[in-house]
Amino acid sequence: MYRTGRRCPVNMADHNKRDTEGEFFSEVLSPSELFAARSRSHKIPVRGQKDFFPDDSDEQRQRLEQSLNEHWSLISEERVERLGNLVKATWLQSEQIVELQSPAGKFWQTMGFSANGKQNLLPEEALYLMECGNLQVFYQNLPLSIQDGYEKFLSSSTVSLQQYQVFAHLKRLGYVVHRFDPSLEPSSYARQLNLPQSRDRAVKQLKRKRSASPTATSSHTEVQETPTADRMEEDECGRDGEEDKKPPESPLTASAGTAAASSDEGGGRTWWMTDDLGERSDHKPASGRSRWHFSSIPFPDLGSRGSSSSCLVPPDSSLLPGSVAVGVCDIAPWRRRINLREVKMSSKERRREEDKRRRRWDINRDREVRRCRNWAEYRELLARREGRPKGRPAHLWNREVTPLHDPRQPIPTKELLDKLSVIKSTHLLEEASSIKGSDEWRICFNVYQPDTVADFKKSNPGKPYSRMCVCSFDGPVPDLRAIKLLTYQSGDVPVVLAVVDHGDISFYTFKDFHLPTDVFS
Amino acid sequence: MATEGEVKTTEDAPASGKVCTRFDLEKETELRFEVEAGETAEAAEQVELELLTGMAEVFGSELNRNKKYVFGPGSKIAVFTWQGCSVNLFGKPEVAYVSKDTPMLLYLNTHAALEQMRKQAERDNERGPRVMVVGPTDVGKSTVCRLLLSYAVRVGRRPTLVELDVGQSGVSVPGTVSALCIERPADVEEGFSVQAPLVYHFGSTTPGTNIKLYNKLTSRLAEVFSQRCEVNRKASVGGCIINTCGWVKGSGYQALVHCASAFEVDVVLVLDHERLYNELKRDLPHFVRVVLLPKSGGVVERSKDCRRDARDEKIREYFYGFRGVSFYPFSFEVRFSDVRIYKIGAPSIPDSCLPLGMSQDDTQLKLVPVTPGRDLTYHVLSVSSAEDGEDGSRKSLVESPVCGFIVVTNVDTQTQVMKVLSPAPRPLPRHTLLIMDIRFMDMK
Repeated sequence: MYRTGRRCPVNMADHNKRDTEGEFFSEVLSPSELFAARSRSHKIPVRGQKDFFPDDSDEQRQRLEQSLNEHWSLISEERVERLGNLVKATWLQSEQIVELQSPAGKFWQTMGFSANGKQNLLPEEALYLMECGNLQVFYQNLPLSIQDGYEKFLSSSTVSLQQYQVFAHLKRLGYVVHRFDPSLEPSSYARQLNLPQSRDRAVKQLKRKRSASPTATSSHTEVQETPTADRMEEDECGRDGEEDKKPPESPLTASAGTAAASSDEGGGRTWWMTDDLGERSDHKPASGRSRWHFSSIPFPDLGSRGSSSSCLVPPDSSLLPGSVAVGVCDIAPWRRRINLREVKMSSKERRREEDKRRRRWDINRDREVRRCRNWAEYRELLARREGRPKGRPAHLWNREVTPLHDPRQPIPTKELLDKLSVIKSTHLLEEASSIKGSDEWRICFNVYQPDTVADFKKSNPGKPYSRMCVCSFDGPVPDLRAIKLLTYQSGDVPVVLAVVDHGDISFYTFKDFHLPTDVFS
Repeated sequence: MATEGEVKTTEDAPASGKVCTRFDLEKETELRFEVEAGETAEAAEQVELELLTGMAEVFGSELNRNKKYVFGPGSKIAVFTWQGCSVNLFGKPEVAYVSKDTPMLLYLNTHAALEQMRKQAERDNERGPRVMVVGPTDVGKSTVCRLLLSYAVRVGRRPTLVELDVGQSGVSVPGTVSALCIERPADVEEGFSVQAPLVYHFGSTTPGTNIKLYNKLTSRLAEVFSQRCEVNRKASVGGCIINTCGWVKGSGYQALVHCASAFEVDVVLVLDHERLYNELKRDLPHFVRVVLLPKSGGVVERSKDCRRDARDEKIREYFYGFRGVSFYPFSFEVRFSDVRIYKIGAPSIPDSCLPLGMSQDDTQLKLVPVTPGRDLTYHVLSVSSAEDGEDGSRKSLVESPVCGFIVVTNVDTQTQVMKVLSPAPRPLPRHTLLIMDIRFMDMK
């Protein structure tokens, strides 16, 4: 009732063995063999990374060799499974799917699809189940070894090795992984409207014949193989299109435009100048002579020490309100009481003060000032003396390259910051809709969280936890355009880049964030 | 210095049930009393004043005989008599004493001199005296202004009060400069009746925050006042009394000189500051009469808190009326999209950040749009009377008078509306708002 399968290293060409394999695929083991097979340790001895750090010593080479051998022996070990656990299936080369021959196991909850009344598995699913020891696949009535599975199932028209590695890795961690089909995603318009994904769509998804393979048209290598001329053309078209779509009101060009305009004609600025002039000419000269003869107008001035009389004659009662009548006013006692307190001054003010005193500054010593009889004349004199040179430094503004901002044009700090940031930051979704899809970067899988497995329905998988894009460390780093495209395709589900480095998988994700701007309005 | 007059305290208080103190004042003396500034404004803390015999005045306004005047907490009052009188005080003032030592005679002589100038102006068909009252803080500038204005009105003049003290405005809410035509003596309790004042938005309680704007507004007020003088003979002869800030150093001093020039003042009254007097004599042309006057011994120094409370009270008075009883303001919601909020003056950049040879002086007068947000709460906003035009009106916005004030009491950024306290029901008369640094919490 027992059989063995054989687990082979992936890249070991082992075709010759097939014939012999065919003979023992249903071999029944003796109890002792079985016991030995079941009690064998399947664990690769764990070693620290430092054990492999090359130091060119013999000892290390030996250690490395030993480790490698351990790996090999583990991989080439025969695997023993219960025949009853194995689901039988056939590989349909032409359709690139695996059709189940016997009822599916528990995996059916999260994997496979039905078509034409048959239960089918996608190649990566079948391969994973083979590795798990849940599935035996026949091709031309012969069972496939795991190595055969790798060779047959992984192709450019299904999934690549790297994609499968990511798929298997996630599956082993318990995630539910499905192929991503962009055509089943709601359009940006539907997203905007916040339409619930219709049930029909979901059903369709279940009944899908087969979603396009993640690498349906091209893998990395193929992309590189496509005629470059074609691609160039395409790119150019794309760019043209973008430029067409990008109207002059793009923020960058717009601001540049206005800046140019304002620096050209000085637009908003001129009125300040003219206004200033206007203001000056506004003051019409008032009537000529000095009108007041203060010598005859008795102010009780405590400051004028020169004046002989310290007593003011009582004012004419006609000048006073009501029935007030007063006598002589003696201002002498008040003089002693006036505030002579030192004024607190900053050193700068004091210096200016000192300077004035040293020069015995008094505008009334000036003969011209003395000649003025009223404010109008005095102001005219001041205006005449002050041939105010004004304006911005010409050397900065005359040339083609001008400062980004004219400080005389006040704008809120936020706008100013925007204006100064020549390289604009962008949001992931900004203008993403206009980016044409590329073959180089595509989302491969929808990933659902392990804890949802219990009530997971293939017919209505719900919103994925994340979406996987598989790439390699050998390949290029995704540029902003690729990230935008992926984000746009994914909608509100985060896109994770699974980067494969010879079997080691690292996950990266790009997130939108706002640079904090501390602006006080 | 203070000499006590005859004081009789009669404990048998009549109707009001308060302690009644009688003061008999000699000729040319004054009774000074202060009412305690309490946290809670209860009626018990008010002091009532009644003139029994003779004649007396409070800051230039005559008292009616046998009428009770009520003074609330924080009041600092001087009852002066030219002929002698007797008054009753009901309630418990914090301080109350009679002083012979008052500069009232000097102030009266000053008025007489000004009145002489008005007479000459009337005769020669000229404009009347323009007087600027300057001095440090707490020397009684506002009181002297009130005194001179009241006397002028009492002899039949129509002088104009120009209020440039943005911290403690006697006319409108703080943070504004204003002009008010005086047609009757100040009310003993309330001060000048504020009818149709001309108010400009400044936005802060000290001119130092935007001295350029302060000077601009001074010039603008002077311009408008001159225009008024041209069409209104009485106003022209009446002249104006300009009340200024107590900032007399540095830019503050420059602002005073600028104001003198803008209004073309004829007389500068310097209160109790000889140094300032000498400086002004030196920096103002010879045809300006600079006069040094003493401050009254009754002037009390106000603390920072006291000034702040006074500002708050002034805003409250704007919305709720004198003593918070006569007006009933409205509260309604205003959508952000319906109004445009500006701040005058771009944020100042250190000179080192400017391109070579550039100065940023001009930015102080520019309008900066304010994005409504939570930090708008409690700010006082001026409703500018400028037409709700587009950018074209921006230029005049700074120089447009204010038609009223609102206070933002709540901001809802979610629904993009703010709740405002307004003296008039909705809608707002104009939709251009200027933000002040001053905040007001409607708590009483």
